[in-house]
Amino acid sequence: MAIDTHPSLPEFEYIRPATLSEASEFLANHATEARPFLGGTDVFVRMRDGALAPRFLVDVKHLDGTGDLHFDPRSGLIIGAAVNMNRVIASPDVQAHYPLLAQACRTVASYQLRTRATIVGNLCNASPAGDTIGACLAFDAHLHIHGVSGPREEPLSSFFLGPGRTVLKPGDIVTAIQFPLPPAGCTGVYLKLGRNRLSDLSIVGVTALGGPDAACPSGYRFRLALASVAPVPFVPAAAEAYLAGNALSTETIHQAACLAAEACTPIDDVRGGARYRKQMVRNLSERALLTIWKTLAAQPAA
Amino acid sequence: MVVHSIEVTVNGEPRQIAIPPSMTLLRLLRESLALTGTKNGCAAGECGACTVLLNGEPVNSCMVLAVECDGAQIVTVEGLAQDSRLDPVQQAIIDAGGVQCGFCTPGILISSRALLDRNPEPSEEDIREALVGNLCRCTGYLRIIEAVRLAAQTY
Amino acid sequence: MAEAQAQNIPSPVGESKPRIDARQKVTGSAVFADDIPHGNALLYARIKRSSRPHALIRRLDVNKARALPGVKAVVTGEDFPGYIGLYLQDRHIFCRDRVRYVGDPIAGVAATSEEIAEKALDLIEVEYEDLEPVFDPESGASDSSPLLHPELGQYAAANFIFPQAGTNISNHFRIRKGDADSAWDECAAVIERRYHVPHIQHVPIEPHVAAAQVDVTGEITLWCSSQSPFAQRNLIAQAMGIPQSRMRVIAPFVGGGFGGKAGVSMESLAVAIASKVKGRPVKLLATREEEFVTTFVRQGLVAYFKMGCDSDGHLLAMENRFYWDGGAYTEYGVNITRASGYSSSGPYEVPNVKADAYCVYTNHPVGGPMRGFGMPEMHAGLEQCIDELAQQIGMDAVEFRRINCLKTGSILVTGSQMHPTGLPQCIEKAAEAIEWGRKDPPSAPNKRRGKGLALMWKAPAMPPNAGSSAWVELSEDGMVNVGIGGQDLGQGVFTVAAQMAAGALGVPYESVRIATPVDTRYSPYEWQTVASRLTWSLGNAVVNAASDARRQILDIVAEAWEESPDDLDIVNGVVVSFRSEREIALKSLVIYGMPKPDDQGWRGGPIVGRGSFMPTYVTGLDPETGQGARAVVHYTTGAQAVEIEVDLETGRIDVLRGASAFDVGRAINPELVRAQMEGGFVQGMSSALFESLQLRDGVVRNPSFVDYRIATSADAPQELQTFIIEVPQEDGPWGARGIGEHSMVPTIAAIANAIYDAVGIRLDGPPFTAEKVYLAMLDAGIVQ
Repeated sequence: MAIDTHPSLPEFEYIRPATLSEASEFLANHATEARPFLGGTDVFVRMRDGALAPRFLVDVKHLDGTGDLHFDPRSGLIIGAAVNMNRVIASPDVQAHYPLLAQACRTVASYQLRTRATIVGNLCNASPAGDTIGACLAFDAHLHIHGVSGPREEPLSSFFLGPGRTVLKPGDIVTAIQFPLPPAGCTGVYLKLGRNRLSDLSIVGVTALGGPDAACPSGYRFRLALASVAPVPFVPAAAEAYLAGNALSTETIHQAACLAAEACTPIDDVRGGARYRKQMVRNLSERALLTIWKTLAAQPAA
Repeated sequence: MVVHSIEVTVNGEPRQIAIPPSMTLLRLLRESLALTGTKNGCAAGECGACTVLLNGEPVNSCMVLAVECDGAQIVTVEGLAQDSRLDPVQQAIIDAGGVQCGFCTPGILISSRALLDRNPEPSEEDIREALVGNLCRCTGYLRIIEAVRLAAQTY
Repeated sequence: MAEAQAQNIPSPVGESKPRIDARQKVTGSAVFADDIPHGNALLYARIKRSSRPHALIRRLDVNKARALPGVKAVVTGEDFPGYIGLYLQDRHIFCRDRVRYVGDPIAGVAATSEEIAEKALDLIEVEYEDLEPVFDPESGASDSSPLLHPELGQYAAANFIFPQAGTNISNHFRIRKGDADSAWDECAAVIERRYHVPHIQHVPIEPHVAAAQVDVTGEITLWCSSQSPFAQRNLIAQAMGIPQSRMRVIAPFVGGGFGGKAGVSMESLAVAIASKVKGRPVKLLATREEEFVTTFVRQGLVAYFKMGCDSDGHLLAMENRFYWDGGAYTEYGVNITRASGYSSSGPYEVPNVKADAYCVYTNHPVGGPMRGFGMPEMHAGLEQCIDELAQQIGMDAVEFRRINCLKTGSILVTGSQMHPTGLPQCIEKAAEAIEWGRKDPPSAPNKRRGKGLALMWKAPAMPPNAGSSAWVELSEDGMVNVGIGGQDLGQGVFTVAAQMAAGALGVPYESVRIATPVDTRYSPYEWQTVASRLTWSLGNAVVNAASDARRQILDIVAEAWEESPDDLDIVNGVVVSFRSEREIALKSLVIYGMPKPDDQGWRGGPIVGRGSFMPTYVTGLDPETGQGARAVVHYTTGAQAVEIEVDLETGRIDVLRGASAFDVGRAINPELVRAQMEGGFVQGMSSALFESLQLRDGVVRNPSFVDYRIATSADAPQELQTFIIEVPQEDGPWGARGIGEHSMVPTIAAIANAIYDAVGIRLDGPPFTAEKVYLAMLDAGIVQ
């Protein structure tokens, strides 16, 4: 944002394709001029700011399957691209099986913005601060993408290339995100540190998910994902491996939290400094892991 | 430039309007329909002064394209009172002293109304969370929170 | 005091009546400036702004912009040679040869659409020759600094402002009371500190908007969101070279001002552009981003404090130096500097004071008035030093304040005597409410809890002869219409004016309307809606006008009934005689008068009451010593206390509860007074915890709500107690004085003192962000 930000949206043409194929084709044919959009909460701001000036905005909210939210006890959860975050938060299936995802959505901006904001939009923006990305990574989600050559699926783990950059090609539309069944007995937490208590972008965001796993020497498997401390949200693999390989204790958790802090590469910006961010990754990772450990320990043995 | 023709129902009245694609719902309301109760405070989805109900759910109208509203039901602050009888949230914010300059008030009322529609017995924490997207610089929020609590008792 | 309390307070004065404007505001029918329709002739204005902090304009070419279809006018500084400014005329409407901040207006465009106006801006070519910028007020005040205003010596200034020609110091205010230099030896404890308070912004939720139309004869109409329609008429007319009476300002409801909509900031731009497209209205609406940078901002401050006391805790001396970061133009800011000087002791009696307050030009956004007018910034450091001094001599901070605070009759820093004040009561109320001295356990093991308290004082800062006026007229049904030129920014002055008119006249509150919108053509004169002066000053004018109307009414009835006016009263809209017990409703006489007996003619006529008020007793101060008979009209005083928790893992501060106690003289509407105390507390808390304009090389890096965070509903404290202390103001209506600004003055310091109490650290200035608190704790070894 700068003082020469436009008062209103600059001119563009609004395209509302009838089918996914039509949408992919249009986007591919106007690769440099067209942009798909869902809730617009990010794209409109960037257009006012002059950072984006698409000739065509392609509304992909009404296409096949993008409005569905469906849980299958065998295969997991699928959330259509156009499903807004308030719907995700209110979904009994999400609350029952993926409460971490609802918790992460709930930290995004305000209720009225979440009427428009979507998880898929959050992913496609590939912001370093994306609040829901960590939960999606922790649950090993994958994406349903429709491109010029038809539908395909891709794992989220290799989706991000850098800030604002993904593997999507012209014509690609993310139609849904799919979550496998959550690990049995898992529990998760998203700790977001903003300047205000709610509604802010994160200075640091720590997602943690943990559950019993006999395959791990420690008996537990933890997932961690960190936001706002690297070009894109990422998983600190060394910290996860350390937790898997060592008997769980406050010291193990502290060491893992230090490894998480070592793995991040934060910058100084208007929201916070790098030194502080590293410290916060350590402290919040520790707090998150301790919270989960406490919850897991209180659960009856499986 | 392409002009789109849309049909929207605003505060119960159906309207047919020709609009350019770049027009936001906020500008449609304020400029095309002269419903100026909905306010423009930031044009970036941050301050909440432009909050209206779109098909029953609150949105920042500055972040919605008018063209996306074809076939939609819109309720603005002007549509809250029925037959000159104030909505309970309107009466409560007067009674609690939650109005000062009044510029954030329309958005606050819409967000409050939407909260009570989905959660008729909100806790104080629920109220605070439901209003984080409505900035107020005058009141310090305490009387607004109190107003929503009062309104919940009247529903 | 006892006398004043015994005086009869007529209903509805002192009652918490609902706001007179509430219904309009909850139904969306209240009209704000951007809501006014201007028809199809409306043109849209946009402003070309400087991208450089300090540069000479070498070339400015607007020809391409002018040629763009749809563009109706492009204006530049060449068209408007006049100067403008409230206390110091140091600005042109558009830059002429030099730009002084990033955002300085260079040219204005009017076009048939906003989009075309925007395109035209891109076609304007500017070549700059960069000059060395000044970003620090302290070095900017030195003789070796590059000069921003080489013409400073020629600028017209008010006679109480002292620009230092040949420097960047646009005002230097001095206090030399007693002998501070020799007092230090007598002190048992001395504290010396430096504090920095960053620029912040007012953040009204309604951005600035101005629409102007200039007719073929050159008469100007301006519609704007304004705290100061009359000052705008005066200043803009002068700058445009026309008589004031040929300009009309219409000012509907204001969506928050906090000082930012006082004086003239962007309104003159709309007028200047409109003057080149005569007959057509031109609207200029500030984007939120422009609001943050190009209207007014709160000045930054670098403050040095030195203070000492004896072993019994009596303050003996202070030596304070304030470097105000005034920004590119200080036409308004020079008086903030003056206010900080004549209030430089804080609300304490100090025998020896040396103070120097400098207003310094920098290449930063234009500093202007903001709620508190320098006092929140000054008290931020001063009230922390008081705590530290108390600690040094081992005295409780509240006890130290009890001993030293101003009491009725105390000798002020300017040499005059303190009027009756309830500051001691305020201290007791705030301390008691927060349970001062009791240490409660934190809510979690990773938290630390602390309490802090701070005092404040503030006088209305204004020219000595700032006046108010009002009229009162009645309609056939006996309803009362009150004309005022003051503005309701949300503080509730329309409600309070109606209550005072009702009380002074003798009618129910519900019978009174306020004639709005304020329109300089029809509304009576008011200097500006600033300085927390309206309840007192405009209130006096309203009471005078209502009393005048009352006198006229009673004279007519007395004559008709052949009684003495002294035996008559107006009660609930009815004239009654205590002697004869006769009655007549106001509606029966206020327009048509009363018939004489036997159809022998009539007496009376339409009633119009008039009233005005202007303080006549404020004197000048000695330019060398700052001493004088009466520097200001009065001081409102108060105290605030907070309890907070610090999160040791993140540094986050949670304000758990607060207590505010202010001496308002007399609360005309107690709930509105409390609402000011609450709103001011949260605004003060927001400035303490979150807010700063992040300036780097003159560029504001966070000009949006995304990165300039203010307190939300989730950040407001759980509990806030408010206490109204009433020690009447001698010349206030029923003893009232103002409370609009005061409630955010002590908050930064109260929170800072609580942070110290919780974790033992002091920061060099707000905002006390989680990051700053955490890193300070880390550096101090409090956390690992």
